[in-house]
Amino acid sequence: MAARALVEGRQWRSLVPAVLWERPRRLQHQREPGRSDQPIQMENPYKEPPKRCVLCGINVDYKNVQLLSQFVSPYTGCIYGRHITGLCNKKQKEISKAIKRAHVLGFMPVMFKNPAFLTDPKICNIKYPE
Amino acid sequence: KPETAAVLKRTVEALMERGAVVRNLENLGEKSLPYKISKHKERHRRGGYFLIDLEGPPSIVSAMMDHLGRDVDVIRRAFVKHPVSKTEECSGIIPVNHEDKLMGKK
Repeated sequence: MAARALVEGRQWRSLVPAVLWERPRRLQHQREPGRSDQPIQMENPYKEPPKRCVLCGINVDYKNVQLLSQFVSPYTGCIYGRHITGLCNKKQKEISKAIKRAHVLGFMPVMFKNPAFLTDPKICNIKYPE
Repeated sequence: KPETAAVLKRTVEALMERGAVVRNLENLGEKSLPYKISKHKERHRRGGYFLIDLEGPPSIVSAMMDHLGRDVDVIRRAFVKHPVSKTEECSGIIPVNHEDKLMGKK
């Protein structure tokens, strides 16, 4: 090591690969024997929990007309699409099936929304032209 | 009111005749129908909703639909599967990578 220190530092680094070049003992950091320097493989610890839709965990029934009417247009009575309701696949399918069943069995009106449920809180992000 | 009781009695007896076990009978109330229904040459505006919980062989279904169709007091009839509530496993919206899906299925 003394011999290397005599020659200019830059010349030596160009010839010798960095792996073989020894760091002076006072600059070497403490390392436990048997542990490598490589990063430890682990799952992303900052992962967010998957986003839940509005109905995640709520049972959808063809009998509660109030819930079903929230996903129906008040003017035409047509069922809102997935891009408006923001529901996941399963729940959108369940809702639309329940609405159609309620139509047939005479629980929910078809061409309009039940006037009693017009003042319900808005779930779907729909904008009506003024 | 005695008429509705008579209708229910008739239907339940017919069900038991064909070998169904009636578990529960719920009254969902008497409301005005969402739209006027014309049945048996009459236009109906108000109706009573009833839900009968029953267990039985599937061969009953067509026979009972016939029987209820002939009943003048029954406006609309339907058989619905008993809902098995299974919403505890909803895991939320899993983001789907549409690009991968499109390119991978070649």
